Amino acid sequence: MIVDYVLSGLVTGAIFAIMGSGLTLSYAATGVFNFAHGAIGFLTALVFYQLNMALGLPAWLSALIAVALFAPSLGYLLHRAMFAGLAQAGETAQIVGTIGLTIALPALGLLVVDLLGLPSADATALPRGIGPHPAVGLEPLGVRLDTDQLITFAFSVVTAAGLWAFMRHTPYGLRMRASVDRRRLATLRGVDVAATSALAWTLGSGLAGLAGVLAVSVVGLDATAYTVLLFASATAAVFGRLRSIPWTFAAGLALGVVQNLVAGYTDFLEEVTGLRTAVPVILLFAGLVLLNRSRERVAGSAAEDAPPPDHLAGVPLWRRRLPWVVALAALVGFTFIGPDYYVGIAAQGLVLALIFCSFVVVTGIGGMVNLAQASFAAMAALTCGWAFASGLPFLVAILLGVLAAGAVGLLVALPALRLGGRVLTLATLALALLADQVLFQVDAFSNGTIGWSLPALGFGFADTSDARVRVVLLLVLIGVVGLLVKNLEKSASGRAILAVRSAPAAAVTSGLSAPRTKILLFVLASAIAGLGGVLYAISKGSITATDLPASAGFVWLAVVVLQGVRRIGGAVLGGLIAVVFPELLATWDVSAHVGAILFGAGGMILAKHPDGVLSQLAESRHRRRTRRAEPAPQERSVSPEHQEPLADSEHPVRRDPRVAVGRRGGGTADEPRELFRLENVVAGYADCTVLRGVDLVVRPGEAVALLGANGAGKSTACAVAAGDLPATAGRVLLDGADITAWPAYRRARAGVLLAPEGRGVFPGLTVEENLRTWLPDPAQVYERLPRLAERRAVPAGALSGGEQQLLTLAPALVRPPRVLIADEPSLGLAPLVVQQVFELFAELRERGVALLLVEEKATEALRIADRVAFMRLGRVTWTGPRAEVDGDRLTAAYLGAT
Amino acid sequence: MRHTVRRGVAALAAAGMLAGCAAEQSGGGGGTGGTGTAPGVTATTVKIGGVLTKTSASGYSTKDAELGAKARFERANAEGGVHGRTIDFLGAEDDGQDAAKGDAAAKKLVQKDQVFALVPVHAPNFGGAAFLEREGVPWFGWATGPQWCGTKTGFGYNGCLAPKPGAGSQTWWGRQLADLLGGSEGKSVYVQTSDSSGSKYGGTTISQSFTAAGFELAGVNSALPGAAPPPDWLPYVNKIMTSDDGGPPDVVVSVIAGTKFNVGLYSALKRAGYKGVLTDATSYDAAVLKDPASAQALEGVIAAPMFEPFESDAPEIARLRADVEKVAPGTTLTQHLAIGYWAADIFLDLLAKTGKELTREKFLATANGSYAYDNPGFGRIRYPKDHSEPNGCGALVKLEGGAFQVARGMKCFDNVPLK
Repeated sequence: MIVDYVLSGLVTGAIFAIMGSGLTLSYAATGVFNFAHGAIGFLTALVFYQLNMALGLPAWLSALIAVALFAPSLGYLLHRAMFAGLAQAGETAQIVGTIGLTIALPALGLLVVDLLGLPSADATALPRGIGPHPAVGLEPLGVRLDTDQLITFAFSVVTAAGLWAFMRHTPYGLRMRASVDRRRLATLRGVDVAATSALAWTLGSGLAGLAGVLAVSVVGLDATAYTVLLFASATAAVFGRLRSIPWTFAAGLALGVVQNLVAGYTDFLEEVTGLRTAVPVILLFAGLVLLNRSRERVAGSAAEDAPPPDHLAGVPLWRRRLPWVVALAALVGFTFIGPDYYVGIAAQGLVLALIFCSFVVVTGIGGMVNLAQASFAAMAALTCGWAFASGLPFLVAILLGVLAAGAVGLLVALPALRLGGRVLTLATLALALLADQVLFQVDAFSNGTIGWSLPALGFGFADTSDARVRVVLLLVLIGVVGLLVKNLEKSASGRAILAVRSAPAAAVTSGLSAPRTKILLFVLASAIAGLGGVLYAISKGSITATDLPASAGFVWLAVVVLQGVRRIGGAVLGGLIAVVFPELLATWDVSAHVGAILFGAGGMILAKHPDGVLSQLAESRHRRRTRRAEPAPQERSVSPEHQEPLADSEHPVRRDPRVAVGRRGGGTADEPRELFRLENVVAGYADCTVLRGVDLVVRPGEAVALLGANGAGKSTACAVAAGDLPATAGRVLLDGADITAWPAYRRARAGVLLAPEGRGVFPGLTVEENLRTWLPDPAQVYERLPRLAERRAVPAGALSGGEQQLLTLAPALVRPPRVLIADEPSLGLAPLVVQQVFELFAELRERGVALLLVEEKATEALRIADRVAFMRLGRVTWTGPRAEVDGDRLTAAYLGAT
Repeated sequence: MRHTVRRGVAALAAAGMLAGCAAEQSGGGGGTGGTGTAPGVTATTVKIGGVLTKTSASGYSTKDAELGAKARFERANAEGGVHGRTIDFLGAEDDGQDAAKGDAAAKKLVQKDQVFALVPVHAPNFGGAAFLEREGVPWFGWATGPQWCGTKTGFGYNGCLAPKPGAGSQTWWGRQLADLLGGSEGKSVYVQTSDSSGSKYGGTTISQSFTAAGFELAGVNSALPGAAPPPDWLPYVNKIMTSDDGGPPDVVVSVIAGTKFNVGLYSALKRAGYKGVLTDATSYDAAVLKDPASAQALEGVIAAPMFEPFESDAPEIARLRADVEKVAPGTTLTQHLAIGYWAADIFLDLLAKTGKELTREKFLATANGSYAYDNPGFGRIRYPKDHSEPNGCGALVKLEGGAFQVARGMKCFDNVPLK
C-alpha cells in the first residue's frame, strides 16, 4: 500500500515539479517572484481547451500549440510589457504587479470566451487531457494509473532532463546562471541581461503552460484551482531555495508523495478541519523559516524601496492640504444630502480605507509587504463576534478583537525578524492561507459557517445602522490613524524606521534596533487592520469565516499600492475606489471581467511608476512647473563646449563623430590613434552628481593609471566607461564611434572589459564555467595557469582571493579585449599575487590592449603606466606622461593642493 | 521612539473607546416604518430583482435561475398579474461568489432600485442576509447556507437546508434510496465529504438521513481537500474500498461540491472495481452528458434533486417546460433553472395570499403566519416552520444509457432532529 502511495504520489508531484521549476527559473533569473505563474498555467489550459473544443484540433496538436507557442509568447509579451520594468521597481511593486496579473489574466481569457461565444469553460466538468478521452486505466508495476497520469509523468521526466541539459550545457543556460549569480558582473561580461530575462520568462511561462495543460484533466478549468496549484509549487520552489531547479523539482515530487501519505495515513487529524488540506502551506512556512534566511537583508527591509523625492516639498502647507480639505468637505456634504444607497457605498469605502491605513503603516513606513492583512481583519472581527456572543459587553468585545489582531501580528512579526524581503512576504502569504484553511475552520471560533451577528454601535442619539453615522465615525477614526502615522514619520522612531529601511546595516551600527521597530510597526498595523475588520463586521451586521478571505487581502494591497502606499491619502482614495469602481461598472453594464482586467493593467502602470498614482500626480505637476520655470534645462547640461580642453590631444570636429572616425581611423601619424575616450562625462547617482566633466583618453598598447583619493569618482568613472552607469551628459567613444547609449553588455561584446572592484568572478559557477562566460574554449587558460586547471570543477567562490583575481583576468589573456578597465585590481591581495597580476597587465599591454588601471594605492600602477591621470572631486585635474609624475604631483593629487 | 509608539497605541485605544462609547445602544432590528405604500409597489406593478452567482473564479454559476424566475413571472403577467399588479422583474445581480459583493448587490436592489423583494437569491456565499433581515425585505431562493436559517425574511423554496443541531434534518434521501434498493437492511453506506466545515456539516446531516433510513454507516471521510480536486485519488479510493470490514460499501454518497470532484472520484472508484451504488446531489445536470468522460464516469449514478425531475409526467412539470419554452425556446433545463422557477412560484403564491393591500410587513405577516403551500413540483412548504428546517422532500433520478430517468418521484418524509 505505502509503495502504491509513493509511486502514485510521484506522478502527482510531477505537476508541482514542472510548475515549481518554472517559478524558480524565472525568479532566479530576474528576481521577480511571479504570483501569476498559476494564472499563466490556467490561461494556457484554456487555450488548449478552446483549440480542442472550438476549433476541433486534435488534443496533441492543441497541446503543442498552447504549450510550445502560446505560453512562451505570453511570457515574452509579459516580459516586454511588465516584468522588465518590474525588475527595476521595488519589491512592493513587483509583488503587486504580479498579483494584479493573477486576477487579470484569467479574467481576460474568460472575457474573450464570452465575447467570441466560445464553448464556456465550465468548471463543473473536467476537460480532457492530452491522452485518450476518457483516460484508460493501466497497471504498470502494479500501481493503478491512467493514461493522463502516465503522460504527465513522462513529460516531467523529459522536462527535468531537458532543463538540466539546457542549464548545464548550453551557452544560454550558462548566461542565465551567470546573471543569477551576479547580475551586474554578467552584463560586464557581455551577457545581455534583458535578453536573458526575456528568455527566462519565455521558458518559465512555457513550463507554467505545460503544467497547466497537464493539470487540466485533474483540476478542471478553474482559475482558483490553479492558484492552489501555484501555492503548492511555491512550496517546492522554496525548498529549492528559489535558486536550484533540481532541488525544486525534487521537492515538487516529494510534495506529491507527502500529500498522498497524509491523505492515506492521518485519519487522526480529521478532527482539525483543514489541517490536512493545509499541509503544503505548513511546509511552505516551515521551508521559509528554516531554509531561506535572507543573507542580504535584515528584518524584512527592502533596501531598494527608497522613498521617492517629495515633489511638493516647495508647496505651502495650505496648498498641499487644500485638495484633501475640499474633498473631505464634499464627502461630508454628500453624506448629509446624498441618497441612502450611495452614502452606504461611501461608508463601505471608508471601512476599507481604514483597513488600508494598516498598509500605510506596515508597507509604506515599514517597507514590509504583508499579504495577510485580510486575515488580521477577519481575526479581529471573529474574535469580537465570539466575545460578544459569549456575553461580554460590546465595547470589551471590540477592544478584544483589536487586541487579538495585534497579538497575532506579534506572532507573525517574530519569525519576520529572521526573514527578509520576499521571504517575509511569502511567510505572510502562508499565514493568511493557514488562517483561512485551519484557524477559521475551528467551529468554536468562527461559529461554523453561520458566523456571528453583531449589533449596531450606538451613540445615544444615533447608531451605526445609519450609514451617515458610519461615515462620520470612520472619518474620525481614519483621522486618528492619520495623526498617528504623521507622528510616527516625524518622530525619532519614524526616522529610525526609515533608517532601518534604507540602510539596515548602517542603522544597526548606529545603534538602532531594527527588529523592535519592525515588530512595533507590524503589531500596530495589525491592530489597525483589526479595528477596520471589526467595523466591517459591525456595518454588515454579521461576520462569517468567509467574509474576508485571504485573497481579498491581495487585492487590497494592490489597490492601495496603485494609489500610493506611503500616505493615508492613498489608502482613503484606494478604499473609495475599491467600492465605487465596481459600482460604476455595474451601472454601465460592463462585464465584471473588464474590471478585473483593468485592475491587472494597474500592475503595468506600477512597473513604470512604482510609487503609485498620487505620487505620479505630484511628479507630473512638479515636471510641469519645472519646465515652465527653466526652459530647456537639458540643453544646458549637455552643452559640449569645453572649458578645459585635454592637454595632450588636438581637438577633432567634435560634433560629427564620423569625421572623427575618418581622421583617427586613417591616422598614420607617429602618435598612435586614441582608442577609448571619455569626453566631458557627467554622471552620478539619483540627486548626487559624482563626475563633473571627466575627460580621459586611452590608446592601444598604452596603460593609463587613474589615481586619486578615496571618493574622487574613480569607480564611478569606470562604471560609466563600461556602461554600468549612464552618463547624464558627455560622450563615451570607442574607436571614434559614439557608444554612450550602448548598454554594458554591448560594450563588453565590442571589447570594453571591466574587471570590477572586488573580484570579478561568479562565485556560484565553477572555474570552468566562469571562463566560459568569456571564452568558447578555456583550454588555453589552463595551459597558461595550471593552478586554475587543477581547480576547474571548484566553484569560484571557494578560491583564494589571488586565484579569484587571476580567474578574473585570465580570460583576457586568451581573448584580449580592446580596452581593459581594472578597478582596484590589487585590493586585498598579497604582494606576491599583486606582482603576478601586474605582470599580466604588462603582457596585455604588449599585445596592444588599451589599459585603464584605477588604483588608490599608486605605487604598483605607476610602475607599468605610460601615462597618469589624477582625479579629484569628479574631475581629472592633471594628465601627463608618467615621467612627469613626481612626489609633489602625487601629494597634490591626494591631498588636494593645486 | 518607545514614547511615540506608546502614544500611538494610546491613540488607537482611544479610537477604540470612541467607537465603543455608549456601545450596544441598539440591538439592530429597526427596519423601515410601516408607512402606507411599500417600496417597489404601485397600483399595477411590483418590482422584483434577484442575486445570483452568475460568474465565479471557480466557474460555478447559478445564472439559469434568472431564466427560471423570469419564465414563472411571465406566465403570471400573461395571466393578468396578481391582484392587478404585474411583476416588473429587473433580472438578477451577480455576486461573483463574494460575500461583500452579494451584500452590495442586495443594498443596490433595495436602496437604489427600490425592489419590493429579492427573487431569486441563489448564491452559495450570499452576504446580504443581515442587511435584508434588518430592513425587513423578503428574499426567496435556495437556502443552502446558514445565513438563511432562523431569519424572518429569508424563504428557501424547500426550507432551510442548514438546520441547527436539534432542529429537523432531512431523511428523504436515505428513505427514497432504501425504497429504490428494496430496503436498507444490512446495507452499508460510506459518506465522502471534503475538508471544510461546510462540507463536514453536510456529511453529518446526510449520514443521519441514511442511518434514519436504516442503513449502516461504514464511514464518513472528510480528508478531501476542499479547494481543488486532488491530483491523485488513490488514498481516498483505497479507504472506500476497504471501509466495510475490508470490503467496499453498498452505497457511496458524495457530499463534495461540483461535478468535477464527482467525475474524478467515480472514475477512480470504477477503475478500482467498485460495483455498488453511487449517489450525490449535484449530478442531475444535462450539461454533464455532453462530455463523454463525464457521462461515462456518471453512468449508473443516482442523483438526488430537490424538485420533481424534468423527465416526470406531472402536469406542473409540463407547465414549467411550456413556460420556459415561451421565454427562451430550446433551453436545456437545469437544477438552477428549476430553483429560480419554484422560488418565484412560492413568492407569487404568497403575493396572492397577502391580498390587495401590499406592504412588506403584511406580506411577511402572511408568510410567517402558518403559511402552507403544496405543489408536486417541489413537494410542500410550511412557514415559519421551514425557516429552521428543510421541507423534507426530494426525488431520485438515475443516469442510464446516457439519459436521466426518474427513479423515484418527488416525495416528502418526516424530518428527524439533527444530532
